[in-house]
Amino acid sequence: MSEVRLSNLSKAFGETIAVDDVTMTIPNGALVTLLGPTGAGKTTILRLISGLEQPEGGDVSIGGRSVVDDTPAQRNVAMVFQQYSLYPHMSVQDNLAFPLRSPLLKTPAEEIERKVSEIAEVLRISHKMNNKATELSGGEMQRVSIGRALVREPTIFLMDEPLSSLDAKLRSDLRIELKRIQENLGATLLYVTHDQIEAMTMSTHVGVLDHGRLVQFGTPREIYENPVNLYVAGRLGQPRINVLPADMFAGAPAGADKMGLRPEHIQQGEGKGSMVKRIEHLGDQIRLHLTLDGHDVVTLSEPHSDLEPGDTVAIQPRNPLFFDASGVRIT
Amino acid sequence: MSDTPIDRVAKATPPSVASKIRGLSDRAIAWLFVLPTIFLLLAVNIFPLIWTINLSFTNFRANRPNREVDYIGLRNYERILTDEDIWLTMQATAHFLFWTIFFQVLIGFTLAWLINRKFKGNDLWTTLIVLPMMLSPAVVGNFWTFLYQPQIGLFNYGISFLTGIDPSSFQMIGDVTLAPWSIVIVDTWMWTPFVMLICLAGLRSIPDYIYEAAEIDRASQWRQFWTITIPMVLPFLMLAVLFRGIENFKMFDLVVQLTGGGPGSITELTSINLKREAFEKWRTGYASAYAIILFVTVFGLASIYVKALNKVKER
Repeated sequence: MSEVRLSNLSKAFGETIAVDDVTMTIPNGALVTLLGPTGAGKTTILRLISGLEQPEGGDVSIGGRSVVDDTPAQRNVAMVFQQYSLYPHMSVQDNLAFPLRSPLLKTPAEEIERKVSEIAEVLRISHKMNNKATELSGGEMQRVSIGRALVREPTIFLMDEPLSSLDAKLRSDLRIELKRIQENLGATLLYVTHDQIEAMTMSTHVGVLDHGRLVQFGTPREIYENPVNLYVAGRLGQPRINVLPADMFAGAPAGADKMGLRPEHIQQGEGKGSMVKRIEHLGDQIRLHLTLDGHDVVTLSEPHSDLEPGDTVAIQPRNPLFFDASGVRIT
Repeated sequence: MSDTPIDRVAKATPPSVASKIRGLSDRAIAWLFVLPTIFLLLAVNIFPLIWTINLSFTNFRANRPNREVDYIGLRNYERILTDEDIWLTMQATAHFLFWTIFFQVLIGFTLAWLINRKFKGNDLWTTLIVLPMMLSPAVVGNFWTFLYQPQIGLFNYGISFLTGIDPSSFQMIGDVTLAPWSIVIVDTWMWTPFVMLICLAGLRSIPDYIYEAAEIDRASQWRQFWTITIPMVLPFLMLAVLFRGIENFKMFDLVVQLTGGGPGSITELTSINLKREAFEKWRTGYASAYAIILFVTVFGLASIYVKALNKVKER
């Protein structure tokens, strides 16, 4: 396992700039999550690190050594592809064993057998070992694809939305399992996801991408509590951060244009009256959709609250985030 | 009862529209549609087959329709299977089949593999390579007799240019040892593009991301070729072999135009031999038995092969 360093990395496909001057260090043994909407350059960064794509500028170094001229095989990275990329003509067993059967490694057959069945156990696909890769459900394919990476001992694991097509229960189980494996191996892992729970709970660091640029890099808490701008603030948090004009409440600092309110920034019971539009019962909590002077505000409430649509709730901000006209954070 | 849209349509539709108009039941109409096909099938397929089986037990000759026909049991079959000339014909066919398929698969796959490496102008190359396939086999057979001409032929000249042998020192068509190869060369020239196209379809069906995954899994080019390319193209390759096998088992026009089965009967393939027995010697009963034997042989081989093909596809 090694530290992976990206310096001023750039890549364009024709006119489209996919990755724009990204500098980022993935510390040894860290689990770094890349967040961003489709087209932000997350997958391209993985492909640049793996060597499937050549950068136009900048450098990728693994373990302190520049690898831009190396082949993917020389870089020794493991990757979980978004589209699974299983070998369709092989059984699950053979798919999992494929990386280990490299003539270069000379891994003994029993060793391969042992590793493969161990991983299959963890990922709960032992009962499908003799199935062809095409005779699996989407979730099973995804697990085989994760397994094919985990049997190896690469310099870094690259995972492109590895849990996206699993059902909710399996997803939360495997999230914990994956984190456990990563910690046990001391593995360096770069992880792409849309799922903010994965980003918040698994990662040691989060990188937020916007149009190929790395906007902010830090621990999940830093990203959540101290976003550098409105874009980053909107990437994490469920329900999403509410954005209101800064002058709606008193106390806005000079130059503030917008105010960002997460549910924990909203104090109920005092302040301006707002109308309850809709109530969503989520079981452990209630999501309130409010209207405040024509602005929509979504916040959380006690599960046993007896509010109903049409009721009025008084709210006021508590330590909100302020942004200037261009969206940059002020305080 | 609920009144769903379907129920309403059902109620609005009068029972068997056709019977009111023509006085026919729906079943009768169905038969009317199917009967022409059944009749055609019986007339051009089933009846001739049964009639051929029947004739194969007789000494009937089609050029003497008025002569009395005798049933001679299995005599025809006995004579064919013990006839050495027929075994030689079979051998010539086997030689032709094996080597044409061997070369066509080898060259066809190699060409497809080369064309598939995306380079500039590969579409133009594909079109050029496919040209021979678009010609008529009889025309191909005919003009290759000129290419094989010892004095003026381009083929002999080319061999001479490459090896230094005197071009008029060998005759591809006239020589007993070279003639079987002459037909193999022409058929390979003509039909390799076909095998190439099928292989190309196979190669293009392998998505790039499979190779990317293999690249990440640290498989060498060599290993990728043998563990991914070959297994994934194999069903296509086997299909190409099946098509070429069937086509070449009944090979007629090209070889007749090229060698006429000669010298002697060295290149006389079974289909040419059969045609001679049936329509030159007019031994209709004998030829029928011959046809039945060939049919059973091809049918047997093909079904074994198709089973193998399905197994490969399932893998």
